[in-house]
Amino acid sequence: MKTKMLTCLILLLACGFGLFVFADSHEKEEDMNKLVFSKEKYKTTAVSNGGKISGVVKFDGEVPEMKKLEITKDKAVCGVTDKFDEALVVGEGNVLKNTIVYLMDISQGKDFDKEAKPELDQKNCRFNPHVQIIPVGTALTVLNNDKATHNVHIFGTSKNNTSVNKQQTKNRKKMRLTGAKGAEGPIEVKCDIHGWMKAWVAYVPHPYFAVTNEKGEFTLEDVPPGDYKLGYWHEACGTNNKEPVKVTVAAGGEVKQDFTLKLKESK
Amino acid sequence: MRSKNVVYLILILGLLSVYNLIFAQDAPEVSEKGKEVYEESCAHCHGTEGRGDGSAAENLLPRPRDFTRGLYKIRSTESGQLPTDQDLFDIITEGMPGSSMPGWEASLSANDRWEVVAYIKTFYDGFKESETPPRQISLEGKIPYSEESVEIGKGLYTQFACFECHGQVGRGDGTSAPTLQDEWGFQSWPANLAQGWNFRGGNDIDDIYKRFIGGIAGSAMPMFEDPAFGLTIEQSIRYNELDNKVEMTQAEEEEYNQLDEKMGNAFEILDLMAEGSANEEQKQSYATAMKTFYEKSWHLANYVKSLSSEKRPEPAIGKNVLRSQYTEADLPQIMDAAWDTLDSSYFPLVGQIIIEPRQFNPTIDSVNAKSFYNDTEVAFLFTWDDRTNNTEVEENEDTGKTFEDAIAIQFPVKIPKGPTAEKPYFLWGGRKAVYLWQWKASATDKITELTAKGINNAEEQEVQGNIEAKGEYTDGQYRLWVKRTLKTDDTKDLQLEPGVFVPIAFSAWDGANGDVGTKRVISSWYSFVLEPVPSSRRFIYPPLVALLSFGLLVGLREFVRQRNT
Repeated sequence: MKTKMLTCLILLLACGFGLFVFADSHEKEEDMNKLVFSKEKYKTTAVSNGGKISGVVKFDGEVPEMKKLEITKDKAVCGVTDKFDEALVVGEGNVLKNTIVYLMDISQGKDFDKEAKPELDQKNCRFNPHVQIIPVGTALTVLNNDKATHNVHIFGTSKNNTSVNKQQTKNRKKMRLTGAKGAEGPIEVKCDIHGWMKAWVAYVPHPYFAVTNEKGEFTLEDVPPGDYKLGYWHEACGTNNKEPVKVTVAAGGEVKQDFTLKLKESK
Repeated sequence: MRSKNVVYLILILGLLSVYNLIFAQDAPEVSEKGKEVYEESCAHCHGTEGRGDGSAAENLLPRPRDFTRGLYKIRSTESGQLPTDQDLFDIITEGMPGSSMPGWEASLSANDRWEVVAYIKTFYDGFKESETPPRQISLEGKIPYSEESVEIGKGLYTQFACFECHGQVGRGDGTSAPTLQDEWGFQSWPANLAQGWNFRGGNDIDDIYKRFIGGIAGSAMPMFEDPAFGLTIEQSIRYNELDNKVEMTQAEEEEYNQLDEKMGNAFEILDLMAEGSANEEQKQSYATAMKTFYEKSWHLANYVKSLSSEKRPEPAIGKNVLRSQYTEADLPQIMDAAWDTLDSSYFPLVGQIIIEPRQFNPTIDSVNAKSFYNDTEVAFLFTWDDRTNNTEVEENEDTGKTFEDAIAIQFPVKIPKGPTAEKPYFLWGGRKAVYLWQWKASATDKITELTAKGINNAEEQEVQGNIEAKGEYTDGQYRLWVKRTLKTDDTKDLQLEPGVFVPIAFSAWDGANGDVGTKRVISSWYSFVLEPVPSSRRFIYPPLVALLSFGLLVGLREFVRQRNT
């Protein structure tokens, strides 16, 4: 009788666990295109003898020719330079620009660089940079270097981040936006007046984030020794939220971790 | 044995309650009644989970609102704030003109509508967690409507850059209009400010003002910010003037730089205020600048209000029927001022949803018409608003396939005798044929005459060319002038004579909205009449009768007087 009872109990527990896992994965399905943040509140500590994670992100697949954007208005200002769809910027050697690489589960470590002042520039009707990370609580300075009116439209994604849509006429060269109330992103930014202008911002809770440069390179420095999940996000290639890469950082050590990304399957 | 069963039972119950704790902790307290009403009346468009993805959603533009992101277009609250319960209740009650959202006042009790308000709020966590009520837009300092205020508003319209989307005269035809999308990536046309009756959130000056201050969440419409913050209205206008000068004198340049600096300082304070780090002095100057900004916004609201009539015009029936005016002069040409002397007749249009492919989301509201005739000819002036001038079929990756703009004016071939006589089927005829004038935006001075016996059964007439036409597109509006002889030799044409009521109907195509073939906007039958010439005998007989009566009365009086003496 006892064994029967035990079997029953185990079965029930297994069922419950299955349900729990299912519910959890179901929840994640929706956030497949977002960054993953640790549920624990990030604590700032002094990091001595931290390690380094670096690598190169490459693109795997046929590289499509970059689509030239059609400049439909304000040609005197916007038409001065050619503009391209920057959803997939692949450099020589198939290196991939604008990929966010980050530690998913870190809960304590170094502080943000207090000097950093994130900027989003609008020049010749193009946002620069195309992808950037902003510490939560730090203002984003938006510049208008055009003799044209723009509107900075940061899409609303959650209760942390309600939609922001502010006009910035040519009179206003600079404006600061306080941004999301909590970690969020990446969030699409658009200028509706010039529909081709697009960018991405991510409001992040800790400084272990990097955006790959023209050479596809990223570096995360001063990482406290330990085991971490390394994640990425790319506009056209999606995320590795389902199977993050596990890395172990030794004190003062350096971990090399490259990524090869494919276009995400379009629905 | 029994005791063991009890143990199993307790075990199972215990586990179940643990599951409940895990899975039910997020379940909001739902109003059962609200859920029931929602699923019965709202879910077809808004989806059972409130994602705006009900079974009918795909055919609707604007799309039904997705309630899960807490972005509500029509609010009495400031930018970035949630709506009040009253805001939600009002939208459910009154509906949203110009969209598929009907008002539910007649079909749902007030109690049910409140229950639905409570229920749709459960789709977004933000409602639950907001401790303070949303900040409402203050209507203090409202500037009453006046000609002067409208004039100031008109000046600010350019400075506030409204024209970028809404166009120079406000018909929603700005150069950014074709590419606008909402945050869900669906096409989002800017409002035609000349058709205030289609404003989703109402056409009162207060409504318009609230849209300025609060923005329209989730759409391309930004919240307002004073583009010349810190400057008075006079200074703003002056700044704009100087800014547009090709060359400035030294004095002007100094003036410009001063204003520019003042503005720059004010903008800096605006940012400091948003960050909560302004000092007392800065707070003071912020308050002053905001006061001016609100004044500017009221002037602008008054200007927008001035662009359209209070209500949708009465359709062209009864006393509003299209009456062609007789003139002895030559019939006016397309741009002649003579047209301004006539009132327009308004022909409302709706999407064609009878025959596939259908148009569920019409963008052309109506056609307006005026007409003159003389002894031999009749001329018409048709106008209709269309946000874009499409003269060919185009394929665009972002905005999809667009077609050519066009219009067709429809008459019966034979005028039915008497008001009860049967007209041809209104949708391009059937058993009885219709006679059509078709005009396309690619050939602006050409009318093709068609005979049709059904929407897919039209033929070009063999005899063409007795009609003159001229079409123009300016500032979001087509203006089409058509002239024809009253009588023709072609038996397939309509023959006209004064005093006879002629059925008239319209089809129109907005190529940018995917209109082509049967996908179009249509009207039912209306009438027009060549207003009979008032007979010249009215100048002879009535005075003659009056004179004779007068003579008779005088005679009678004389007769009575003489008999008495």
